[in-house]
Amino acid sequence: MSSLSSWIGVLSDPVKTKTYISHVKKVEPEIGAFLEFDPERARQDSLEHGPLHGVPFAVKDILAVKGFSLTCGSRILSGLVSPYTATVVEKLQQAGAVVVGKTNMDEFGMGSSTDTSAYKRTNNPWDTDRVAGGSSGGSAASVAAGMVPFALGSDTGGSVRQPAAFCGVYGLKPTYGVVSRYGLVAYASSLDVVGLCAASVGIAEEVFAFMRGYDERDNTSVEYTASSENLPGAVRRIGVVSGSLGVEPAVEKTYRQTQEALRTLGYEVVPVELTMMEYYAPVYYTIATAEASANLARYTGIRYGYRPEFAENPEELVRKARSEGFGEEVKLRILLGTYVLRSGFQDQYYQRAQRIRTAIRRDFDQAFQKADVILFPVFPTQAFKRGGDGLDAFQQKVADRFTTAANLAGIPALSFPAAVENGLPVGMQLMAPPFGEDLLFQVARKFTDVFSPPQAPHYISLWS
Amino acid sequence: MNPEELRITAALAYLDLGEEEYEELMRAVDQMLEYFSKMMEVDIEGLPPTTHAMVRENRTRADQTVPFSGIEALLENAPEREDRFIVIPNIL
Repeated sequence: MSSLSSWIGVLSDPVKTKTYISHVKKVEPEIGAFLEFDPERARQDSLEHGPLHGVPFAVKDILAVKGFSLTCGSRILSGLVSPYTATVVEKLQQAGAVVVGKTNMDEFGMGSSTDTSAYKRTNNPWDTDRVAGGSSGGSAASVAAGMVPFALGSDTGGSVRQPAAFCGVYGLKPTYGVVSRYGLVAYASSLDVVGLCAASVGIAEEVFAFMRGYDERDNTSVEYTASSENLPGAVRRIGVVSGSLGVEPAVEKTYRQTQEALRTLGYEVVPVELTMMEYYAPVYYTIATAEASANLARYTGIRYGYRPEFAENPEELVRKARSEGFGEEVKLRILLGTYVLRSGFQDQYYQRAQRIRTAIRRDFDQAFQKADVILFPVFPTQAFKRGGDGLDAFQQKVADRFTTAANLAGIPALSFPAAVENGLPVGMQLMAPPFGEDLLFQVARKFTDVFSPPQAPHYISLWS
Repeated sequence: MNPEELRITAALAYLDLGEEEYEELMRAVDQMLEYFSKMMEVDIEGLPPTTHAMVRENRTRADQTVPFSGIEALLENAPEREDRFIVIPNIL
């Protein structure tokens, strides 16, 4: 298993730095994980003697890093250079880790393939004809291809966990509020969290410890109190859902096998009833698009980013900047969000979704009476191909039905590699009550006793 | 959604849609609204809305200014600029 210790000091040593950069330059052209790669640019912002000194890490291009671009994968933010650094990035820099670049993503986090990026395609390190997942596809691929031990991402409805599952790495979506969102470009503010992709469960756990905590610059952030402090003892009961899940055979098979494996490891596998499951995705898309339409109203082409060649007046400038600067998926979500918030339609859509969100939360509260953590698939398919054989934009949204639950309920979830089928990884996810991240790490670590996740073929890390 | 509603919605969102784009988005919006209509099955009687993932008390802080060090870097991002002013087309 990959550990952080082999990466410590890599960028503090000139010889190792050179080897590292030439390794990335060899691998990256096939993958396309980075929108910008420059290990020197922010090096002086990292402490020289922290516990993570010289460890390279990548940052999704939706988090601000001073001196780097901040495009969110969108043309409308082309040319924007961030004048400041996100709190979560600063915390890692204070621990000594070094930002090496910004990773590709679906435009504003809206997508499941990273193909809605206005800039480039990111390929899956397991099979470069397939997508890396999304929206944090660049972050997941950079880890899977051994270019960094961990990468930051954001997860609004599964955007860290799904690409992690597609690329065979770990993906953590923390409890809402435990990681500051200061410096994270907003998509859907009541759902957005900063998470990470990591090469091993140990790395995920170690890095998460540096990321979390209250930040006075984010009024929704909270101090982190590990649930093990309130709930002594180890995880005993793991909740599972029964019946057909309507997923690909490889995913269905892995879900069953994972339950079996957990049973052999001594856990009690108990059925839980989640009665609201079929409403996760429609409720999620109603709330997320509503919040997105408000958050994306700030892009006008006036103060920063893309500006059209010519406009008669300020209003035309704004309309042209938005019409030329946003891609189709973003326009669709802005239109939907604007519509569901319009007077006369709010009761039917937005308010209704918020009330069903309460029922979903209560459903989980009840399920956690019976089980310490819950096991779910991440996505109904493995990494898909581009074009006709893949999933269209609508199918991708419906497929978010397993990941959106944790965002709606505000609870932590960890996707972990659980099998390799058809030469591709299959990920499963564990969910816990708020602040239960340590429970997720505990079970995922134990699971490596029966399944040690292989690295993507041909992309063995230099330092493992 | 009737076609006029989409035009109104697009205008509210400051989006100009070309004819082809309009057709395409009309189809996609309709498909999603139909998907949203699944929510009509749920009995929401007595359920309060969840507006926030973690229910917390309202938080306040002192109304104080905090100096920002990156003002010049911020202004440098303006697409068109004269000194400390951002240039936009004439307001008539």
